Amino acid sequence: MDSPSSQFISSRRMGVYDPIHQISMWEENFKSNDNNLSVSTSIIEEGDMKLANQIQSEDASHGIFGTSVNYDQGANKLTDKTQRRLAQNREAARKSRLKKKAYVQQLEACRLKLMQLELEVDHAKQQGLYVGDGLGSNNFGFAGSVNPGITIFKMEHEHWVEEQNRQILELRTALSSHMDDIQFGTLVQGIMNHYSKLFSLKSAAAKSDVFYVMSGMWKTTAERFFLWIGGFRPSELLKVLVPLIEPLTEQQRFDAYGLEKSCQQAEDALSQGMEKLQQMLADSVGPGQLVEGTYIPQMDTAMERLEALVSFVNQADHLRQETLRQMSRILTVRQSGRFLLALMEYFQRLRALSKLWVNRPRELA
Amino acid sequence: MVVKMVHEKAVIVIGRRGCCMSHVVKRLLLGLGVNPAVYEVEEKDEAGVATQLEATTLSQQGLQFPAVFIGGNLFGGLDRIMATHISGELVPILKQAGALWL
Repeated sequence: MDSPSSQFISSRRMGVYDPIHQISMWEENFKSNDNNLSVSTSIIEEGDMKLANQIQSEDASHGIFGTSVNYDQGANKLTDKTQRRLAQNREAARKSRLKKKAYVQQLEACRLKLMQLELEVDHAKQQGLYVGDGLGSNNFGFAGSVNPGITIFKMEHEHWVEEQNRQILELRTALSSHMDDIQFGTLVQGIMNHYSKLFSLKSAAAKSDVFYVMSGMWKTTAERFFLWIGGFRPSELLKVLVPLIEPLTEQQRFDAYGLEKSCQQAEDALSQGMEKLQQMLADSVGPGQLVEGTYIPQMDTAMERLEALVSFVNQADHLRQETLRQMSRILTVRQSGRFLLALMEYFQRLRALSKLWVNRPRELA
Repeated sequence: MVVKMVHEKAVIVIGRRGCCMSHVVKRLLLGLGVNPAVYEVEEKDEAGVATQLEATTLSQQGLQFPAVFIGGNLFGGLDRIMATHISGELVPILKQAGALWL
């Protein structure tokens, strides 16, 4: 414990005012920090309150400055009350200093943790692990992290969805009106073209990052549940949608069922191709001696295998495209309109479901 | 050798060894009840085989693997197989070439 005189001098230098000043400055800092520091914040706020109360309880004329003036005239003349007040001030100042030290130590620890996390994220990205949507889409210079092709795709996909929502409204209006077939046909063609656009966007994105497209990260959660090679499974969709566009003629029903079957066969062939690719990739990664724990002996072969995934995404999208085209051949123009509306609404509903799911009330731990 | 096979077989799939897309074509045809002949090309022979096959066709386009020949004629790649399968045109073509029986 410092001797009374030096203790007093240091608080004089600070000015007894200073502890309050310091604390209120820190308080402002605390308020903008996150919950990790809330404990220290509340401790310090408490300290602040106590000190403030102490100061406020002082009589104005016998305030702190009054006290120091007394001291200047000789230590002998300090009254008990004054001495007690000084001691209290010293104690408060000491406590403040300790709290400040604790706060700074906590800040240092957080800073180190943050640096460590940044390194981990960086490392994970370099290894090709997908790191959370939020991190992936900012540009804070993590080495090799942001893929411009994917960023572009995300933006364009958002616009694509907006345009589709607009098309849904337009189509609904058109269906309830007595629009002539030619005009209606143009509308339907526009929607078909819009889907073609999606497939070409996906193709470009697949060249940038095929795993991003394959894993359907650009879709909502409920849509992803139905994912098959980076998109919807045509046969599954037909099963759901064809009953919704009745009435159909016998021939149409027969053709639609035939289409469903053809899709199934094509999907099976693609799925089997994927399985073979997985097998081949496993075979090229599995055997052989590891060098320095990271190098895969047949890295080139493995890389080639992964490239083949791009073809799979393209073929799957090609299948989706052809399925839509074939449906438009089987159906009349108005029926096609109803089919496309059912299709678009189906995905719109899945997106709405995803939103509900994400925002569902959860029990707080 | 490969050209001979093209003319002899009703359906033949010519692709790179280990190519997964060739596998897809094969599985699709098998699923339809077709038993296609298969010719696997080594990477080093690719260019040579492509040239030979291109000579048999009238098409100006460079040949891409996997390539499907039906009834001795170049039919196309996986794209065309998929498209014609979905549109329902593939099966009649295969039947006509004698690759499929009812």
